[in-house]
Amino acid sequence: MPSKKSLHIESSGQLCIYCGACVGICPLNCIYLDETRITFDERVCTRCEICVKACPVGAIEID
Amino acid sequence: MVQNLKTDVLVIGAGPAGSMTAKWAAKHGAKVLMIEKRQEIGSPVRCGEGMSKEWLKEVEIKPGRWINVEVEGARIYSPSEKVFEINEKHAGNEVGYVVERDEFDKQLAIDAANAGVEVLLKTAATSLLKDGNRVVGVKAKAFGEPFEIRAPVTIGADGFESQVGRWAGIPTNIAMRDMDTCLQYRMTNVDCDVRYCDFFLGRVAPGGYVWIFPKGEGLANVGIGVQVSQVSSPADARTYLDRWIANHPGYAKGKKIDMVGGGVSISAPLKQTVADGIMLVGDAARMIDPLTGGGIANGCIAGKICGTVAAEAAAAGDPSKEFFQKYEKGWRARLEEKLYRNWLAKEKLVTLSDTTFDKVVDALAGVRLEKLNVHNILRAVHEKYPEVTKEFEAFL
Repeated sequence: MPSKKSLHIESSGQLCIYCGACVGICPLNCIYLDETRITFDERVCTRCEICVKACPVGAIEID
Repeated sequence: MVQNLKTDVLVIGAGPAGSMTAKWAAKHGAKVLMIEKRQEIGSPVRCGEGMSKEWLKEVEIKPGRWINVEVEGARIYSPSEKVFEINEKHAGNEVGYVVERDEFDKQLAIDAANAGVEVLLKTAATSLLKDGNRVVGVKAKAFGEPFEIRAPVTIGADGFESQVGRWAGIPTNIAMRDMDTCLQYRMTNVDCDVRYCDFFLGRVAPGGYVWIFPKGEGLANVGIGVQVSQVSSPADARTYLDRWIANHPGYAKGKKIDMVGGGVSISAPLKQTVADGIMLVGDAARMIDPLTGGGIANGCIAGKICGTVAAEAAAAGDPSKEFFQKYEKGWRARLEEKLYRNWLAKEKLVTLSDTTFDKVVDALAGVRLEKLNVHNILRAVHEKYPEVTKEFEAFL
């Protein structure tokens, strides 16, 4: 099985505006927003990339 | 160590839907606790701040200092910028206010508190407490300290990024085509008309629109929603909005002083918004109007019904999903038909080409409609461009 791609959420504030768009659309409910901190559950995330599209400022990358 | 708490009705989230639910539950005699994860209710604002006004009386919200600008109408711009104006005469009282959303949320929380609701800030629900399948409260953290709140009736009013519904097993997932990704700048020194909210349709904002909501003295909210399924590269919302601004000299000269983003659901109504011990309300229940993206009115209207039923359920000692059907049926009777109709209209609109948008707006610009509804709009378009309405026969 190929290893998962890596998902990176830029949540230090350089790009992320903490709007929660990614949290709301994540089909697996594995992204969490806590004031100015966004985390996601590496184990649950399937790298479906929907959050990448939902982010209005391009703060989420998958490579 | 924070003490564990007990209440009749627990409301999670102090946005408009949460505060309305809490207020009406308290007014009907329930002991109500409302928790808010942020330190400040209403802030940071994540909203375009435009709202209609005819519904305010129904839910007994009084005008206050949260009203920023009262507009006379809305103008719909086609891709080639033909204009169709919707004014009060057309729309009944459909047009309305540009608001200070943080003030609005605070006022509703104040109304709730004055009705007897207890409010806890900096308090987030972290999971649900369950007795079998029934929700009986939440595990929460206040200022980082874990504790429990027990309540026969729990309300999920936790907004677009709602966790509560999913924890309760109520399907609230939305597809990419049923969400817009939004970005907005507050800009100063722009040439907007304070009498109108402006909407720009077509490829400038695929599956959504660009909005200009005036805030007075050259200040305006300039924002965009783009359907997630039509996003082709990261940060499309920003790219499209920046492009629109660059192409409009009256806005390109403006200065950005604030920026907000967020997700807006544009889905058909959920099949289910209640389960044993729990009800969902507002954006958490996907009650946003899928055509306009407005969620405040529907959240407040449903909140009044939700709060009333919550108090009744607590008094009857019956927080079952069967009892909650009174809410489920109540909000649907009031809102569902329009939500569904507007969802169908949205499904159609997102497929239109710029040429078609131009024809539709051109046809409407030339006529005076007695009453603005989908039927009358299609009739007017049919007169001038019968080929355009072919696709819309289902609506005629």
